[in-house]
Amino acid sequence: MPNLDPATSVNRPSNAMAPPSPLPLSRGARGTAQGAAELCFHCGAAIPAGILIVERGAEGTLSFCCHGCQGAYLLINNAGLADFYRRREWSDPGTAIQPSQGAYHDAYLSRFVYSSANGSAIDIIIDGIRCASCVWLNEKILGRLPGVLEVRVNYATGRARVLFDADALTPAAIFSRIAEIGYLPRPYTSSAAKEGARLEQRDLLYRFGTAFFLTMQLMAYSFALYAGYFQGIDLQMKGYLQLFSLLVTTPVVFYCGWPFLTGAWRGILNRAPNMELLIAIGALSSFAYSVYACFTGGEVYFETAAMIVTLILAGRLLENSAKRRAAGGVERLLGLCTGQARRFQGGTLETVDPAELRSGDEILVGPGERFLVDGRIVEGSTDVDESAATGEALPILKNAGDSVIAGSSNLTGAVRVVCEREAAESFIARVARLVEEAQSRRAPIQGVADRVSAFFVPAVLSLALITFAMQYLSGAAFGASLMSALAVVVIACPCALGLATPTAMLAGTGAAALGGVIFKGGDILERLSRVNLAVFDKTGTVTCGRPELIEVRAAQGIHDRELLSLAASVESGSLHPIGIAIREHALANGIPHTVGNEVKAVAGGGVTGKIAGQLVAVGSDRFLRESGVCGVPDQIDAPVGGLIVCIAQAGKYCGTVILKDRMRDDAPELVSYFTRAGIPTLLLSGDRQESARQAAAGIGIGAGIGGLSPAQKASRIDLLRQEGAIVLMVGDGINDAPALSAADVGCAVAGGTDIAIDTSDLVLVKPDLERLAFAHRTARRTMSVVRQNLVWAFLYNVIGIPLAMTGRLTPIYAAAAMALSSLCVVGNSLRLLGARRG
Amino acid sequence: MDSSLILLMVLSLFLGCGCWLFFMWAVQKGEFSDIEGPKHRMLDDDEGPDRKDKKC
Repeated sequence: MPNLDPATSVNRPSNAMAPPSPLPLSRGARGTAQGAAELCFHCGAAIPAGILIVERGAEGTLSFCCHGCQGAYLLINNAGLADFYRRREWSDPGTAIQPSQGAYHDAYLSRFVYSSANGSAIDIIIDGIRCASCVWLNEKILGRLPGVLEVRVNYATGRARVLFDADALTPAAIFSRIAEIGYLPRPYTSSAAKEGARLEQRDLLYRFGTAFFLTMQLMAYSFALYAGYFQGIDLQMKGYLQLFSLLVTTPVVFYCGWPFLTGAWRGILNRAPNMELLIAIGALSSFAYSVYACFTGGEVYFETAAMIVTLILAGRLLENSAKRRAAGGVERLLGLCTGQARRFQGGTLETVDPAELRSGDEILVGPGERFLVDGRIVEGSTDVDESAATGEALPILKNAGDSVIAGSSNLTGAVRVVCEREAAESFIARVARLVEEAQSRRAPIQGVADRVSAFFVPAVLSLALITFAMQYLSGAAFGASLMSALAVVVIACPCALGLATPTAMLAGTGAAALGGVIFKGGDILERLSRVNLAVFDKTGTVTCGRPELIEVRAAQGIHDRELLSLAASVESGSLHPIGIAIREHALANGIPHTVGNEVKAVAGGGVTGKIAGQLVAVGSDRFLRESGVCGVPDQIDAPVGGLIVCIAQAGKYCGTVILKDRMRDDAPELVSYFTRAGIPTLLLSGDRQESARQAAAGIGIGAGIGGLSPAQKASRIDLLRQEGAIVLMVGDGINDAPALSAADVGCAVAGGTDIAIDTSDLVLVKPDLERLAFAHRTARRTMSVVRQNLVWAFLYNVIGIPLAMTGRLTPIYAAAAMALSSLCVVGNSLRLLGARRG
Repeated sequence: MDSSLILLMVLSLFLGCGCWLFFMWAVQKGEFSDIEGPKHRMLDDDEGPDRKDKKC
C-alpha cells in the first residue's frame, strides 16, 4: 500500500517555511505515466500516476515515487551500499512515517546527548526498522558520517546508540541523515518505568541462568543416585552425593525461586491462593522432605524442586521478552506531539519546544506538519486530516476561527494558530491520560491456574494434616508422621500441575506468532478464548481507511474516460487523499492523463489547473459554482458517507465522481466467523451515526453506534463490561487507544498507529482480519489443551495421594511417575505448535 | 576411590562455577540484549569503514 497521508512521505522538498498563506502542494516531476503501476525502487510502494522520477543506475533505469526516495537511493548508492536493495526482506512496501518536515534542531536534541568514555553519545529510536538489512544500512550510513565513532543498532528494540565527536558533528546531522534514507529517528528518553522493566528482565535472566547451571550439576548427582538405587551404592558415597545435591539445590530454591516465594507469600497475605503458592509449596515441600531424608538416610527429591523452578523461570523469561517488545505505549503517543514549534516573536519566528508554548502564543504550522497543541486558526485556511482524533477518513476544511486538535496533520496550507491549551493539556495528552487510567483500572482476571490453586492448595494441606494426625495418633513417631505428611504434599504438588498452564500458553503463543498474531502474554490467550462480545472500530479496521472512487457520472456528451482523464491530470501531483484516489482509479483502468499546468489547490474547495490551455476545476459542487461554472446540478445525491467531486472544463460542468471509504474484503468473513462462534458483534465509530449504521449493516455486524469520542468509546466498553460482557475490541487509531486498553482484550490491526499497537494485547502482524479468527481458534485450542493437562495432572494425584497417605508409594516409583506426568504435559502442550492457519 | 570421586565432584563444581560466572559477566555486559542482530551482522562480508579508509 502506498503511503497516502501526505505527512508520511519521507523528506519531500520542504516548503514548510513559506509565509502563512494557502499554498499549492509541492509538485513532483513533470512527465506522464501510463500503463501498469510501477513500484518505487526504494520504498516498494506503487508510484502514483503522473509522477515519474527516474534514475539511471547499475541495474538499469530505476523509477521512484518521490524525490525523497530518489534522494535516499542516491545517498545509499553513492555510499556503495546499494547491496541493501538486494538483501532486504520487506514484506510490506512503504517507508516509515515522517510526522514533521521541520528540520532537526540541535537546541532540542542536544539535551539527549550524554558524554561517555569515548566521546558524546546519543540514543535514538529508529522507526521503520523491519529487517536485518535495515540495521545494516543504518549502521553503515551513519558510520560513514565524518565524526561518528561507533554505531550500534539493536535489532530487537530498534534502538541505536551513536558515539560521536561533538566537535565534528552535531546530533541534528545524525538525525537528518537517518531521515534522508527513509527512517524516522526520535530521541530515546529513558524513564524509571523503562529502566525498571529492563532491570527486571536482566534479573530474570540472572535467576534463570543460575538455576539452569545448578540444575545441570544437580542432574549429574541425581543420575548417580538413581544408578545407586538399582545397583547398590556405598552408603558413605550416597551421603556425599546427597550433600552435594543439597548444596546446589539450595540456591535454586531460595535465590532463583525467590520471585515465587514472595508471590506465594503475597497470596497468603491476600488470602487468595495463587499459582505461585502452588509452585512454592511444591518446591519447598520436596526440598524440606529431601533435606530431612538426606540426614536420616532416605531417598531425596532435590531434582523435583530444582526442575520446577527452572522450567517456570524459562517460561517467565520468554513471556517477559514478548511483552517488552512493544512496551512504552503512552510515551509513544506523547511523541506525536514532540518536535519543534515555530512561535511568532514580534515579527520573527523562533523555534521552541511545544512544552514552552503558553495559551495565547501564536505559532506557524506549515503544510505537511502536525498540530502540536490544541488551538484556533487566526490566519489562513487549510485542509486538516483529523483521522487521529475522530477516525474520519476525509480531510476537513479549517478556516480562520476554526479550532484544530493536537495530533492532526495539516495538509494543504500554512496557517497561523493561536494556542488555546498548553501541550500538557492537549487532546493527545488527554488521550494518554485516558489510556493510563484504563490500564490501571483493568484488574487481571483470575486465570485457570489461579482458580485451580484456590481450591487445590487448601485441599492438599488439609490432606497432609489428616495424614499427619492419623499416623501420629496411631502411634508413629513425630518425625515419621511429619515425613508422611510431607510426602503427600510432594506427590500432590507435582511439576505436572505447575507446568500444565505455562507450557500450553507458551506453545499457543508460539503457534500464533508463526501465524502472524502476537499475543502479549499467555493470559491474553485465556481471556480471548472466553470473549463473548466483539467490538469493532470502523475507519481503518473494517474499512480501508481511505477513500476510493466508486462511481463516475459524466455529463451529457462526455465519456467517462475523458472525465477521469481530466480529473487525474489536474490532480496529478496531489497528495490529498481525493487526488490520490482519482489517480489510482485512472491508473487501474488504464486511462492516460497528462500533467496540468498552473495547478492551484484551494483549501476545502478543490484544485484548478490548465490542460491544453483550458482551465479545469475539480472540487466540491459549491466550489465549482463559486468559480462561476455553469450547469452544475442543484441536487447531487450520493450514498451515505460518500463524497461528491465535480469536474468542470473551461467553465462548463463535465460530470461528477463519487468517492467512498471501502469495506475491507475480509471483514464480512470475520463477522460471520464470530457469529458462527456465537459471539455477538458491535461497531463503534467516531464517524457520523448514519455511516456507522450503514457500515455495520454492510458487513453483518449487529449494531453500529457513531459519533463517539475516544473517551465515550472507552466508557461504552466499560459499561458493556459492567453488564458482564467479556469484550474484545478491534481498532487501529489513536482514537481507539483508550477503548483498546479498557476492553478485556484489545486487538490492533497492523498498519494502525503505534499507540494502538502498544495499548493492545494482541497484534495482527498484517492488516488481514482473517488472522483474528485464527487467533481466536488458537486461543480456544490452547485452553482445551490446558484443561487436558490439568485433568492428567489430577488423575496422577488421584492415584498418587492415597498411596502416599497410606505410606505405600516407594520413592523411586514416585520419582518416575513425577517425571512421566511432566513429560506427558509438556508433550501435550507441544501439540499446539502443529496448529496452522486455516 | 571415594576421595578421588569427591575430588572430581568438587572440580566439576568449580568448573560449573566458572561457567556461571562467565554467564553472569555476559549478562552484565549486555550480550543478551540483542540476540537477533548478531546472526545477521556476522554475514556482512564487506569491510568496515576503517579498512576502507586505508584502501583509499
